Amino acid sequence: MANLARFTNKALRTAYSITKHHAQPQLASSERAFATEAAKSITPSPDRVNWDYRGQRKIIPLGQWLPKIAVDAYVAPNVVLAGQVHVWDGASVWPGCVLRGDLNKISIGFCSNVQERCVLHAAWSSPTGLPAETSIERYVTIGAYSLLRSCTIEPEVIIGQHSILMEGSIVETHSILEAGSVVPPGRIIPSGELWAGNPAKFVRTLTHEETLEIPKLAVAINDLSKDHYHEFLPYSTIYLEVEKFKKSLGISV
Amino acid sequence: MGTLGKAIYSVGFWIRETGQAIDRLGSRLQGNYYFQEQLSRHRTLMNVFDKAPVVDKDAFIAPSASVIGDVHIGRGSSIWYGCVMRGDVNNISVGSGTNIQDNSLVHVAKSNLSGKVLPTIIGDNVTVGHSAVLHGCTVEDEAFVGMGATLLDGVVVEKHAMVAAGALVRQNSRIPSGEVWAGNPAKFLRELTAEEILFISQSAINYSNLAQVHAAENAKPFDEIEFEKVLRKKFARKDEEYDSMLGVVREIPPELILPDNVLPKQTKVSTQ
Repeated sequence: MANLARFTNKALRTAYSITKHHAQPQLASSERAFATEAAKSITPSPDRVNWDYRGQRKIIPLGQWLPKIAVDAYVAPNVVLAGQVHVWDGASVWPGCVLRGDLNKISIGFCSNVQERCVLHAAWSSPTGLPAETSIERYVTIGAYSLLRSCTIEPEVIIGQHSILMEGSIVETHSILEAGSVVPPGRIIPSGELWAGNPAKFVRTLTHEETLEIPKLAVAINDLSKDHYHEFLPYSTIYLEVEKFKKSLGISV
Repeated sequence: MGTLGKAIYSVGFWIRETGQAIDRLGSRLQGNYYFQEQLSRHRTLMNVFDKAPVVDKDAFIAPSASVIGDVHIGRGSSIWYGCVMRGDVNNISVGSGTNIQDNSLVHVAKSNLSGKVLPTIIGDNVTVGHSAVLHGCTVEDEAFVGMGATLLDGVVVEKHAMVAAGALVRQNSRIPSGEVWAGNPAKFLRELTAEEILFISQSAINYSNLAQVHAAENAKPFDEIEFEKVLRKKFARKDEEYDSMLGVVREIPPELILPDNVLPKQTKVSTQ
């Protein structure tokens, strides 16, 4: 009996000390949190929506600039085109891309393709002094996950996946950039050559057969994009759901 | 058999399109144009069980971004299109005036090989370039992370430091103040000039202004968007040069004017 009493006493005391230990670090962290809160003092807005049923709009006009997509160009519904963006005929922009023409123009030429998750941006001014728009000419393939900023890509070029082209770089016609290459600002990749690396360095010149393959790749991807294009009906029937939803909430349709 | 299957598939699509066109015709006759809107289940701010994002009212969060879990975003900051800020296993805090550009990923580590628990802390007026990957790292005020850079666990980028584009900064590295690190793995490249350090803070401010324009545009309700489409169409046919030849001065509709502070000042370029 006495043993039991001693045991329970000890258990209670240890339990108390454990909770006290827990409480103290908690107090300290909350005090620290309070100090940082006061320093940062974020004031959330009561109006902010966590979820907009419309999702992200594909085309975001800014002021007078409206992104223009050619009739037979495939632009995935995931893509964000903002500002001055022109997607010309036969071009395709694959899912996840962001083309931000807010500071300068972006144009994707005939039969070119910008593959998944690329980000094309244009700076206000380029270090070379040339116009800082991002212009991609015809038959260019830009591999997935690339980042292009204020660069000029001449016709019939392949840019490898995950490559980074910085301000003012020019990739001349009939050249190939391997995957993962980083082109520093203001560099020119000469015509007919293969460059690779971070920073991009010359590897070898391209044979004539390889040069002929470049536009063929662009055309092949164009064909593929037509399949994707035809999967989408021009309008969805979601509005029927919205109407039903509004009716159930008593909002006038 | 494959071609027959495909033929039937496309006939199916034709019938669906016809049906939907007839439905839209009926809606138009009713004067109901909402068939042009589309629904999406993407949640911009998402909480994971009890961890919810806390976002300041002046911050711009692009609708296609995903801010998930325990994330704090300070005032004037901007999270651009396609970003993913995942504060699910630890917390992320972004200061004020910071911009996290398109398609970036900010994630945190709960535990890693060295056993430390690392929240991601991004200071004030930081510029994080497109498609950067920040994982459990600390970026101090007014630093610059170039586009496509990857910062691994435990990296500390000090004030006024720059991580060049495409760099891969390995675990627990420290980028000292005023230096540029580049390459894979990231190594010291050169020192930053005072002009460049000034440029970093200026670019953060420019981005904040740009973010306000995008925020305004993304928040527009359907009616306003359609109205502006009509305005734009009407205004597009009027060329300013032609008008000046005729001696006509036409005003741009106020809805179509961008605020002045978005584009950098023209005067600096013209005087050179």
